[in-house]
Amino acid sequence: MPVISVSGLSKSFGGLDAVSGLSFDVEEGEIYGLLGPNGAGKTTTVRMLACIISPSGGTAAVAGHDIRADPVAVRRSVGVLTESPSLYERLTAEENLTFFARAYGMTDDRKVSGRVKELLQFFQLWDRRGEKSAVFSKGMKQKLAIARALVHDPPVIFLDEPTAGLDPEASKLIRDLITEMSQKERHTIMLCTHRLEDAEKVCSRVMVVNMGRRVVVGSPDEIRSEVAGKAKLEVMVANPSTALVEAAASVAGVSAGAIAENGRLIFELDDLNAATPLVVRALVESGARVLTVNTFLPSLEEAYLRLIKGDGWDSR
Amino acid sequence: MGFAMTLANAMLVFRKDWMEIRRNSQVLAPILIVPLVFTVVLPLIVILVPSVIGMPETAYQGVGTIFENLPPDIKAIVEGMSAQQSMTYIFALYFFAPFFLIIPIMASSVLASDSFAGEKDRKTIEALLATPLTDGELLLGKILVSFVPSMAVTISAFALYCVVVDVSSFSLFNGAILLPNLLWAALIFLVTPLVALAGIGITVMVSLRVKGYREAQQLSAILVLPVLGLIFGQIGGVIMFGTTMIMLLVAGFAVTDLILFRVGLRVFRREEILMKSV
Ligand SMILES: Nc1ncnc2c1ncn2[C@@H]1O[C@H](COP(=O)(O)OP(=O)(O)O)[C@@H](O)[C@H]1O
Ligand SMILES: [Mg+2]
Repeated sequence: MPVISVSGLSKSFGGLDAVSGLSFDVEEGEIYGLLGPNGAGKTTTVRMLACIISPSGGTAAVAGHDIRADPVAVRRSVGVLTESPSLYERLTAEENLTFFARAYGMTDDRKVSGRVKELLQFFQLWDRRGEKSAVFSKGMKQKLAIARALVHDPPVIFLDEPTAGLDPEASKLIRDLITEMSQKERHTIMLCTHRLEDAEKVCSRVMVVNMGRRVVVGSPDEIRSEVAGKAKLEVMVANPSTALVEAAASVAGVSAGAIAENGRLIFELDDLNAATPLVVRALVESGARVLTVNTFLPSLEEAYLRLIKGDGWDSR
Repeated sequence: MGFAMTLANAMLVFRKDWMEIRRNSQVLAPILIVPLVFTVVLPLIVILVPSVIGMPETAYQGVGTIFENLPPDIKAIVEGMSAQQSMTYIFALYFFAPFFLIIPIMASSVLASDSFAGEKDRKTIEALLATPLTDGELLLGKILVSFVPSMAVTISAFALYCVVVDVSSFSLFNGAILLPNLLWAALIFLVTPLVALAGIGITVMVSLRVKGYREAQQLSAILVLPVLGLIFGQIGGVIMFGTTMIMLLVAGFAVTDLILFRVGLRVFRREEILMKSV
């Protein structure tokens, strides 16, 4: 049974449809990515699923609770990293976490302090626990805000742009921590991002959204191969000719072949591993003097940009 | 059971907000300095200094209109006094009274602006609204953190004012103690709590509409205007602080609070609070 089950979820602000009829399921233990450009409706979706705002249409169940019928139960079962870190800057790291632990209904002082310590240690903030969060770097604030989302050990966690505004090194650290955390404590995580790298390196499945609508869902690999076009094989030969191209193009698994302007032979392959040796052999048998062979996987970036621009892709 | 839980959660919000306020000089400065000016600095200038160094009788003629327009019962009391005695008496017991309306208005609106609009300003409101704390618990906690320190400041200011007034009157009236008296006790313990609540109510409404602390503060400052009217009225001798005035204030603010409370409960919705801040 999915932990998050969304059907026809919509939100409009005045005349603007920020989210239009989103439907998807997230299974237990998954890190599910919501990938899309700024303004795609990611934050609005998370806010609705975390019962911070109410939907204009559709519904969803989160951790077994209906977001319309029982918002308090939903809030209790989810942790949210909000778009801006939302930390009390005049409170220390420890005071921030302690307040939220209590706000989420933890009453046992020993359990609260134990959990706070555990999280501060995990996020490497224990030594700085007594300092006001105002003095923290962006990366530290983000770690503290993620710790806050985890403080009551909720089954479901929403992370809205966890690496926004961080440098590459800090971003990598946050990604690693998210991966590690999802292995250590079995949470179901939904992660919003406009960064491909986040989605590619952290998420098991990704839904690309644009203008409030779902564009495609799949693992990063699936999206890459489905959308970005085929893998490419580039062969440099000493004696390029259309005859060679035609000979190789007839090999099974080759969908197209051509001579590029620089004289190299380019082939599009369904499956690189299976077809590459066959193509090279066909070329050699047809008298080609092969100098170099290069293969190119389509990039997720290419796929993503195509999706977002809607290059002939039906976005409904 | 349900109420104990609500109260416990409201107190959680209260303690969190109080911890922030305690460390925020932008909030602490006005709520400490303004009462000090009204209870120590101004009275010292107007009451204590003349009574110690002595003032020529002509200095009192400038405030003559006040004396001319005094209500008959007060006129009867001050008639047998020297100019200095009567001036101290009028100023200490009547003229300064409206300042004690400004203190709770100012304190409560500064505190409530910080607690409500400030939390939007600093973008901390969303994480708070994501918790299972109910609208009622959040509202109650934040009203308390605005109300309790406002009253603490008002009552402390009153205690300080009594000391300042009595120190100056002690020698002037042969050991007589002017304050506290029943009228002032009614002002401080009946009227100012209602005034503080009105200040909070208005500020909460304003905070829901505006972006941040500064705007909320500026709009709520309008609350002081009617009180200034009262002060200038007194200078002209038109209105005089007394039992009738106390009763009018209690009735007026009680009705205002009731209306604010009912409207407030209706408009205080977590979604509204967040959306208006975007
Ligand atoms: N409170 C709001 N009022 C009006 N429009 C909003 C509000 N919140 C979001 N929007 C609009 O909804 C769209 C989606 O926003 P958002 O969910 O924040 O996108 P993302 O998080 O993917 O960048 C944007 O066009 C944004 O301007
Ligand atoms: Mg966003």
